[in-house]
Amino acid sequence: MAKEMGGSRNIVFAKKIALRALKAFLKGFLLYIAYFVFWMFIAPIAEFVPSFQQVVENFFIIYVSLVIIGELVSDTVLQHFFNAAKALFVIGYLIISLNGGILNFAYSNVVLTVDLRFFLMAAVLIGLIGLAKCVIQAIEYMNNKAEIGFKA
Amino acid sequence: MNLPIRAIGIATTLLWVFLIAFFASAVYSLKDLRFDIGEPHLSVSDGEAFVYIPICVDNKGSYNLSAFNLSTSVKDANGSTLSESSTFLPVIKSGEKTEFLHNLTFNLEDLLSNGEYYLFNDADLLVTASIGVKIAEAIPVRASTNFSLPWGAPFYNFELGEPSIENFNLTHINLIVPLGFENHSFFDVQGEIKVRMYDVSGALIGEGETTVNVPQHSFYTGHVSFCIEAEKMPSNGFFEVYFTTAPIIYGPMVVPYG
Repeated sequence: MAKEMGGSRNIVFAKKIALRALKAFLKGFLLYIAYFVFWMFIAPIAEFVPSFQQVVENFFIIYVSLVIIGELVSDTVLQHFFNAAKALFVIGYLIISLNGGILNFAYSNVVLTVDLRFFLMAAVLIGLIGLAKCVIQAIEYMNNKAEIGFKA
Repeated sequence: MNLPIRAIGIATTLLWVFLIAFFASAVYSLKDLRFDIGEPHLSVSDGEAFVYIPICVDNKGSYNLSAFNLSTSVKDANGSTLSESSTFLPVIKSGEKTEFLHNLTFNLEDLLSNGEYYLFNDADLLVTASIGVKIAEAIPVRASTNFSLPWGAPFYNFELGEPSIENFNLTHINLIVPLGFENHSFFDVQGEIKVRMYDVSGALIGEGETTVNVPQHSFYTGHVSFCIEAEKMPSNGFFEVYFTTAPIIYGPMVVPYG
C-alpha cells in the first residue's frame, strides 16, 4: 500500500517537473523569438558598435537562464530568489553596459555620443517595480507557508 | 494579495514591451535618415568672406527629429577662433526633407590685419564641426569631428626683385621694381599695390603703384616704376609696400634693399 502511494507520489512529482520543464522551455523559446525580432530592429547599431551584439547576446543568455531556472524551481522560495536576481541583473547590466547612460564611440576622427540616460532611467524604474513585485511575492509566499504551518 | 501582484506584473511587462518597442523602432527608423552635405559656395564682400554649406536632411523615419543643431568653429594654428557658427532647427518632421544653408563668416580684414602670416603664407586652419539631434525627440545623439582646412595665402611668395634703372632725363631716372606673387586664396585679388622707396635715413625717395587683377590660384608678375632724382638714388634703404586690394587693405610691409 505504502509502495503504491510512494509510486503515485513519484509520478505526480515527475509530472510536475515535466510541466515546469515544458513551461521553462516555452518561456525560453518565446524569449528567444522576442530576442530575434528585437535584434532585427536594432541590427543597424551593430554596424557602428562592434561589441553591441556581444553585449545583447550576453544579456539574453543570462536573462533566459535565470528565467528557465526560476521556472524549474517554481513553487519554492528559490523561485523568488531567482526572480529578484533577474530584476537586479537587468538593472545592473543596463547601468554597466550603457556606461551610466552616456555612450561614446569613435570612428576614425568622428566621435559619436549617444545620451541614453532617459531610456536608462525608465528601464531602471521599471526594473525596480519588478524587484518590488518579487519582494512582495516572496513575502506572500512566506506568509502562506506560515499560515499553512499554523493550520497544521 | 494575488491580484495586485498580477496587476503589477502585467503593468511591468507592458512597460517593458513599450520601452523596448519604442527604443527598437527609434533605432530602426535611423536607417531611413539621409544626411547630405553639398558643395560649399564662397563669396567675398565688404571685407568679409562667406562660406555657405548646403545641407539636406531627409527624414524618412517614423519619428520626428528635434533640436537639430549644427555648429562649426574655425581656429588658426595658435588656437585663436576665426569664425564660429551654429544652425538650429527645432523640429524635422517625419517624412520631411529639410534643406538649409549653414553659413560661416570670416572677417578678412580682421584675419589679415591681425595676422600678416596669412597674407603671405599658406596655413592649415582647424575646423571643429558637431551635429546634435534628438532622435524621436527623446534620445540625444551628438557626432563631432575635427579636420584641417587649407588656407591659401593671397600674396604667397610675394617678393620685390632687384630694381633696374632707366634714364628718364638728365636729372631724373626711372626706377623699375619688379614684383611677383601667387594668389593661392579662394578669392580674386583686385586693386593697387603701392611701393614707396626710402633711403637709409628714412627720407622718402619716390613712390609708385601698379594695378593688379589676379584671379584665384594664379601667378602674378609685374613691376612698379617711378621717377626719382638721379642724385638721390641711394645705394641702400628700404621699400614700404601697401596693398589696397579687395578685400584686403594692408601695409606697410617693409622690404630692405641694397
